[in-house]
Amino acid sequence: MAFLKLEGISKYFGRSTAVDTIDLTVDQGEFLTLLGPSGCGKTTILRMVAGFESPDAGKILLDGENITNRPANKRPMGMVFQSYALFPHMTATQNIAFGMHIKKVASDTIQQRCAELLELVGLGDKGPSYPHQLSGGQQQRIALARALAIEPKVLLLDEPLSALDAKVRVSLRNEIRRIQQQLKMTAIYVTHDQEEALAISDRIAVMAKGKIEQLDYPEEIYSNPRTVFAATFVGSSNRFEGILQLASEGIVKVENHILRVPGNTSLANGARVLVLVRPEEISLREADTLSSETDNQISGTIELRTFLGPFTRFHVRVNDTMLLTADIPSQQARDLSVADSVAVTFPSTACQVLSLENQQIEANQITAAETI
Amino acid sequence: MNTRSANGTALQAERTAQGKKPRQGTGFGLDKVVLILVAIYFLVPLATTLVFGLSDGSSFSMNGVTSIFGDADFTGTLLLSLELAIASTLLTVLLVTPTAYWVQLRLPRAHPLMDILALVPFAVPAIVMAFGLIEIYSASTPLINVLSLGLVPFLTNVVNIVNTPPLLVCAYVIIALPFVYRPIDNNLRAINTRVLTEAASSLGCGWWRTFLTIILPNIWPGVISAALLTFSTAMGEFTLASLFGLYTFPIYLNVTGQNDAHKAASLTILSFLITLLCVLGIMLLARVGRGGAGKTRQLDIVVAK
Repeated sequence: MAFLKLEGISKYFGRSTAVDTIDLTVDQGEFLTLLGPSGCGKTTILRMVAGFESPDAGKILLDGENITNRPANKRPMGMVFQSYALFPHMTATQNIAFGMHIKKVASDTIQQRCAELLELVGLGDKGPSYPHQLSGGQQQRIALARALAIEPKVLLLDEPLSALDAKVRVSLRNEIRRIQQQLKMTAIYVTHDQEEALAISDRIAVMAKGKIEQLDYPEEIYSNPRTVFAATFVGSSNRFEGILQLASEGIVKVENHILRVPGNTSLANGARVLVLVRPEEISLREADTLSSETDNQISGTIELRTFLGPFTRFHVRVNDTMLLTADIPSQQARDLSVADSVAVTFPSTACQVLSLENQQIEANQITAAETI
Repeated sequence: MNTRSANGTALQAERTAQGKKPRQGTGFGLDKVVLILVAIYFLVPLATTLVFGLSDGSSFSMNGVTSIFGDADFTGTLLLSLELAIASTLLTVLLVTPTAYWVQLRLPRAHPLMDILALVPFAVPAIVMAFGLIEIYSASTPLINVLSLGLVPFLTNVVNIVNTPPLLVCAYVIIALPFVYRPIDNNLRAINTRVLTEAASSLGCGWWRTFLTIILPNIWPGVISAALLTFSTAMGEFTLASLFGLYTFPIYLNVTGQNDAHKAASLTILSFLITLLCVLGIMLLARVGRGGAGKTRQLDIVVAK
């Protein structure tokens, strides 16, 4: 049941299209993330839902009611900003109480709510502090409490963790998720960080150039990307450009190699395709222990070995144009070192096949921006 | 100050490394010499004026001072100047603060226009402005009557505004525009006005309430320094008042100076004290307005006298 519904929303800034006829529905209690690179229109969508921008076309419905033309201060939305935006001349408690004062909530209720909210965000003792006395993470917690204080129907978060350092980012993102689930709050979250999006969301909308490329569950976005953009923006992948020789059998010719991929009848024989393999799906064996058990086998030489803790990343040179990335659990990577000849193997089921017929331009761009 | 002490420590460390004795903090650095020179530059004229005012040429005398308080013109002109200064200060701040906020928020493209407008009063000499205003409000020109939508003929004929204190206040508002717009605009740029407004708006707050409860407390230092500058400019303004034929305090000072130099000297000291009191009063207001925010923000005051 759609709680928040965007119908054919468009927004132009001068001649450029920021948001291009987007349809989007968010269910009650759902955590939806808009994920995309900067300039993809994700923040613009959020600002239109908040009422800070008005769409040039389309409608926004909240709980069946058209709120497209309602001013921001009359919408039941709570907003958390990247720059915290706490009122610098007010204490944490006063910041949280501000929205309730506007709504003319009784003052003893306000006091009680403030205490509860401070407790909820884990800053029970910071009520009398001013924003400049708090760390970035603490300020953002207060900003979250302030947005929740008005009991909004939808919580909007605009890159709330971008200004924080890595450790705080992870702990606060877990906090946000916990609080959202505890309050069964409908939330829209904007980020350019794919890891953050995968970790926190019920569903993710991957966006590019003002359009939604794919709207799906995090697992699906990662393991079953529907477009080249979604596949390359979320996670890193090895990419093979080739020709689909036998669609039903799943045979792709890449340069002088043959790759086996899952059979697919929706693509025509002879179609140009992009085959994607996640680095963690790849195994490396010593070159002389070739086996017939795996579907795909390419030989190469280890060019770079990077120890990353739980796993070790290898760059394997196949030929002048082909460099593969493999993430091997570190225990299994001890015997592999630079300049070793290895066999790169991966099962056919690990291969994602995407048609390149209509996506030529984007594919070229991605190759240019390679190696993540 | 911080950079200085940091430099000092670095220097000391360097000296110690060279085996020389580090100099102790009681030293007489170049900075203190400069400070003392500046103090002398400002204080000597004041002190000599004070001494001159408290003498009758050969010996100590309070004649200059007592004759001031017996002078009806003194209170009359002082009150008129205070009224003018307060009126112009209030009017300018009330006009410019919301305007600057609105420009910052909704009309960023109007910024260059505002910047130019805020410079024009510097470029136009007071005498040109005075004659311009007198010309417009005394002679009836059909073009101006139409362009001003009847406001000019109304003010000219019904209110009879020429050469009255209200027109002088309007002129002072124009003169003060640069002093007022700059500090307020700087403050607005410094506090992330737009995001704060959006935050307030998402919490259900309307425009005026956001302005009064969120924006104003955060740009208070700018507003106060704007008020200070306008007030002191209006208190000491001579040219326009003289051309308008209004008997304000600076004109009284000038007249007195031509008749009795000792009395004029005492007057100067008195007017200095009055201005100082007003400035202190406004700064006290600034402290109250800043409230508990605790951040030590400097008032960016340029002493313009």
